[in-house]
Amino acid sequence: MSRAAGQPGGGAALAAAETGKRLAAAQSLNATLDWSQELLDAEAARVDAMAERGPLDGIPIALKDNIVTVEQPTTCASRILEGYQSPFNATAVERLRGAGALLGIKSNMDEFAMGSSTEHSAFGRVKHPLDPTRVPGGSSGGSAALVAAGVVAASLGSETGGSVRQPASFCGVVGVKPSYGRVSRYGLVAFGSSLDCISVFGRTVEDAGRVLSVISGPDPLDATTVNRPPMPVPQPRQDLRGLTLGLPREYFPADLHQGVAAALTRTIELARELGAEIREVSLPHSAYAVPTYYIIAPAEAAANLARYDGVRYGARRVGAERDIRSLYRATRGEGFGAEVQRRILVGTYVLSAGYYDAYYRKAQRVRSLIADDFRRTFASGVDLLLTPTTPTPAFKAGEKTNDPVAMYLADIFVCPINLAGLPAVSIPAGRSEGLPIGAQLIAPSFDEERLLAAAAALERAIPAEAEVR
Amino acid sequence: MTIRRDEVLHVAKLAELAVPESELERLVEQLNRIVDYVAQLDQVPADHMADPFLPGPSELTPREDVEGAVPLARSPVQLAPEFKDGFFLVPRHGAMEDAS
Repeated sequence: MSRAAGQPGGGAALAAAETGKRLAAAQSLNATLDWSQELLDAEAARVDAMAERGPLDGIPIALKDNIVTVEQPTTCASRILEGYQSPFNATAVERLRGAGALLGIKSNMDEFAMGSSTEHSAFGRVKHPLDPTRVPGGSSGGSAALVAAGVVAASLGSETGGSVRQPASFCGVVGVKPSYGRVSRYGLVAFGSSLDCISVFGRTVEDAGRVLSVISGPDPLDATTVNRPPMPVPQPRQDLRGLTLGLPREYFPADLHQGVAAALTRTIELARELGAEIREVSLPHSAYAVPTYYIIAPAEAAANLARYDGVRYGARRVGAERDIRSLYRATRGEGFGAEVQRRILVGTYVLSAGYYDAYYRKAQRVRSLIADDFRRTFASGVDLLLTPTTPTPAFKAGEKTNDPVAMYLADIFVCPINLAGLPAVSIPAGRSEGLPIGAQLIAPSFDEERLLAAAAALERAIPAEAEVR
Repeated sequence: MTIRRDEVLHVAKLAELAVPESELERLVEQLNRIVDYVAQLDQVPADHMADPFLPGPSELTPREDVEGAVPLARSPVQLAPEFKDGFFLVPRHGAMEDAS
């Protein structure tokens, strides 16, 4: 990972200048919500003045716009937070700054991280870097597109139900979701608190691992971080000997997209050649992951987003009746986009009197069954699981916007992992008709080192930009 | 299950959301589609149920409940439209004309 992507060496000022040029050239992707050359130059001056060079010295890293920053607005791509300036930096931001990273780029996203295509941004959709008629995936589509377009070496996104691995797969880059509790969420705008994780995009597994290593570790400001030391930078393995990879049959349905199926067949073959033992396994309750997720996540979102009312947070609108309730309703009705409103309504509905047991409590029980399937499989001697990341390559913009459930199904292979709180990575596994395909590796909780070491070995063996047949 | 129009309006009220009349029909249709979809959890046999999920690894322990101030880069005056005598001024509960 070099200071400016593809430009080894040079001071941070050079990296800032090169990054600015690349950002300007990539403007048509609409992948950024805020950046300026002045801020990048100021960042470069800060980095060059550091007494010691950090592990990410001068490396430009973009931040999803739901990670709060003092120097720049944080909007979550929502009208309701337009112009909001946080009075503090997220812990992940402070750690990146301390490691010498060059910050100053906030990336576009689905509003409040709700979506799978980055079409639900109040500031316009993000375009796929390889085909502007397609989506980059979501909700961290801006962060994914900036890495895929070679603008930055790495970026931060966030996952609630697969929002980094899914766009990583669509854009042909690496996306790592850590274990729940590995990375502080202090300063990550809350969506689904039992699920949210700051996650990382990189051009390679090694790059993503270095960034994850910097931001991981306990944080007194986030009680959900686990008291374990920061993750060391994983040492890549030369092969996969001694590892057993499980292939869960529910993740390889008969109607899987032909290109995805071919890419995974080749990946499995390469894993075998690298010495891995391959075993078919079953995770029967993963079939219920998407409906479970679409009860739990909206319920948590409805509670977390209650604070945007024009009094505590949010651009205030005065309602027709000019009382406090009409102020709340007008502020929220005008400030939130359609998908956020839908999820708040679904979340409120499933938590409301008479429906709580039928929906929310039941979903929490099914969630336990989904997590138990993973636990049982890993306990049976399987080290890692290998699956497709997404059921199809990147789809056309507008293709799923009128059918929320069709959009939700784009996350069918990624959201079970969030429900179980496990670490996972998506690596590029080839292309189908020019579009990237991702392969996903999943590990037991807090086994990121082994996960990333194995992913790096596989990454070296896969001709990621070659067509699969 | 079918969610009726009046139920959507009721839920919108609970959620403090103004839903324009022009959006209502589409919203009713989409919420029904979503709720019908998630209702497939009914297919999971009742005898197959586990305890509700607890997020986080078992080693997760609550931190000590001690007071601590996080340093802020901006003063309270800069954080809200109105700040006076140590208080954030917010719209009056009830008729706002009185406050203006």
